[in-house]
Amino acid sequence: MPRDIYAYKCRKCGHVHYPYRMVCKNCGENEHNEFEPVPLPKEGTLLTFTTLYSLPPDFEVPSLGLAIVALTNGITVTGQHRIDEPETGMAIRGEVEIVRRDGYDEHYGMVFYKA
Amino acid sequence: MTMRDVYVIGIGITSFTRLEFPLSEIAAYPAMMAMKDAGTREIDHLYVANMGGGRVNHQTGLASAVVDTLSLTPAGAETIENGPASGGSAVKTGYMAVASGLHDVVMVTGAERMREVNNLDATDFVATLTHPIAEHIYGVTLPSLAAMFTRLYMEKYGVTERHLAMVAVKNQNAALLNEFAHLHQKISIEGILDSPEAMTNNPYVAEPLRFFDCCPVSDGGACVILASEEAAGKVGRPLVKLAGVGQATDTHAVHEREDPTDLLAVRRAAAMAFERAGLTPADVDVAELHDAFTILEIVESEECGFFPKGEGHLALERGETALGGKLPINVSGGLKGRGHPVGATGLAQVYEIVHQLRGEAGERQVKDARIGFTCNFGGFGNNVVCLAFTREN
Repeated sequence: MPRDIYAYKCRKCGHVHYPYRMVCKNCGENEHNEFEPVPLPKEGTLLTFTTLYSLPPDFEVPSLGLAIVALTNGITVTGQHRIDEPETGMAIRGEVEIVRRDGYDEHYGMVFYKA
Repeated sequence: MTMRDVYVIGIGITSFTRLEFPLSEIAAYPAMMAMKDAGTREIDHLYVANMGGGRVNHQTGLASAVVDTLSLTPAGAETIENGPASGGSAVKTGYMAVASGLHDVVMVTGAERMREVNNLDATDFVATLTHPIAEHIYGVTLPSLAAMFTRLYMEKYGVTERHLAMVAVKNQNAALLNEFAHLHQKISIEGILDSPEAMTNNPYVAEPLRFFDCCPVSDGGACVILASEEAAGKVGRPLVKLAGVGQATDTHAVHEREDPTDLLAVRRAAAMAFERAGLTPADVDVAELHDAFTILEIVESEECGFFPKGEGHLALERGETALGGKLPINVSGGLKGRGHPVGATGLAQVYEIVHQLRGEAGERQVKDARIGFTCNFGGFGNNVVCLAFTREN
């Protein structure tokens, strides 16, 4: 089964949040968990990026691409990128992969490739 | 309810460097200096600013350790953790205690001991303030958030790596005049940008940010003592008033901001501090801004209202933010040169401003400085405290 990253749609006003928050930023609806999970789209454009050379201790690679992407539904997300020559504004596609191994825990997140 | 005026009656600081002392002593030493400076040991309450004692130094409940180390028991004491803005938050809390009439004299001390672990672990400790699911799992660190922000700012406003290097040179060389600063190493644009060795001297940490664009990881402490007008009147020191406080927050995850080149929390916190102080940005003679990364000094100088949006780097080019310029920024060396023991930084900023407004800053004195301003930036701009100070006599 393909894995997904979810955004959260307010059941009252329809505002979509990523990441999750307990109260809607748009309508302030104060009912707990009144959100519908919606899978994040897998296409978008690259807003900004960096190559990080000073990595947290559990990453055993020399460098790591990080990016912020605007997805086709307007939601912005942070993720890793594996693009050789990234440029802001370029079209990307996202995959859900293991992004961090922390002891025995494997964390899944969004990884961006050239579209 | 009327609020009372609040004055700074004592200041103290440690060297910012690697300190082989317990965290509680790093917090207590500047407190002893500040009590000596104020000429009093009558303290009603202690606030201790610290971010990583529990995680890095295995010391929780720091305030209880500090109040006892100083033999100030049974005065009340609490630890205040607000990320890299812990210092500013603690000063603001002390201000509220005196302004409300609850206490007459409060001590606000801040300390951090980050060099107990290696640089990578220290960076990872600071990265725990990022969003756990949407940022931290990807390996996001503060330098990487600053780098992605810098790239946008470069594309939108024409800021270049040379502007960033100019901030690094200005602040690191300013630190040569500050005996408490972490970095006492003169640098030049030639050495960190133009020479063939520049890529070796100054490699990328998170492209486009290089090694010399990032503040060092430091140990250190700083303290201020706040008092009511009546208590301040008994101290024979130049009178500096904490005239306005402001604080604002922004989204936890940086990618959620509507305009990713805005630092809205800085803009709002600064405007609030100015309004409460009855001042405008044009009144300020000297400012300490939170240059954890060189880009932040440029952008904060705009968001605080000192220069129009997108023109901070032009003011830098004209030399307006250097000692002797129109608005000297970070004459202490800033976080870049003085160092950044996270919980102590907000207090070190206040220390410098009070030192300047008293006219006691020696070689780095800003001439006739009467109004000072600090911006303490927590998270990546998601929790910001700004403070305005005036010299009263």
